[in-house]
Amino acid sequence: TTLPSSSSSSGSADEEEQRLRAELRERFLRTLLLMTGKRVRFDMHEHVRVHARFGASDIDVLNLQVCDLETPLGVQREALLRSQDVIACSFEV
Amino acid sequence: VSWRSSLPPSERPGERRTAEMKKLYGKDAAKIQGMEAAMQLTFDRNCDKKQPKYWPVIPLNL
Amino acid sequence: MLQWRDRSPQHWHELVNHEVCVTNRDQQRFEGRVFTVDPVSASVVLLSVQESERLSVRVILGHAVTDVQILRRGTEETERQMKSVLLPDRAQSLSA
Repeated sequence: TTLPSSSSSSGSADEEEQRLRAELRERFLRTLLLMTGKRVRFDMHEHVRVHARFGASDIDVLNLQVCDLETPLGVQREALLRSQDVIACSFEV
Repeated sequence: VSWRSSLPPSERPGERRTAEMKKLYGKDAAKIQGMEAAMQLTFDRNCDKKQPKYWPVIPLNL
Repeated sequence: MLQWRDRSPQHWHELVNHEVCVTNRDQQRFEGRVFTVDPVSASVVLLSVQESERLSVRVILGHAVTDVQILRRGTEETERQMKSVLLPDRAQSLSA
């Protein structure tokens, strides 16, 4: 309601960008929901590859909370992965 | 008596967040904000309950 | 040159439903169909069919992405299939 009404063309361009951003974001959040509780493979930097059950992520995707993390030195029941350490997360549906 | 009461309404953190969301997502802002809040709540609750530690202890990606 | 993370929602949205090759900083490549790109973290969600015929979902974190190239364009049918797998409860109501 506070958008400048003088430039309706840029207003509709904004609306289109908002619509696209919302669709992309909703699909991403639903992907994270789908990943919840699944066994996920994490490809990390330094050629580290681990498996864990995905719990949740903060909304900025900075930290990934996981359970039963299989590390090279044994299983860690509860863990946080830094997303900066992670290249990719994969799971099957 | 709180110093907060002297702030204009737009300076309240919750409202600024809403305004920011509105700017990013337009008429879908409430829906996205709701989904984000649910996810953040799950994350916070799991971290409170399970007290997970960072792995690895030292970041890989320096 | 514009970094992957600084691209616009329009640019990211144009990749949805197409088969792409994502290259990361370590020169690894990931191929699959784009389901979405997170506008917050610039992470790419790819879908691909495994040898076991199960579907693999892969999230490539935005900070690691350097390049995304379209390999093959998707169709209405591939978009419909992708939605039926990843947005099952909305597949029927999306006709509007």
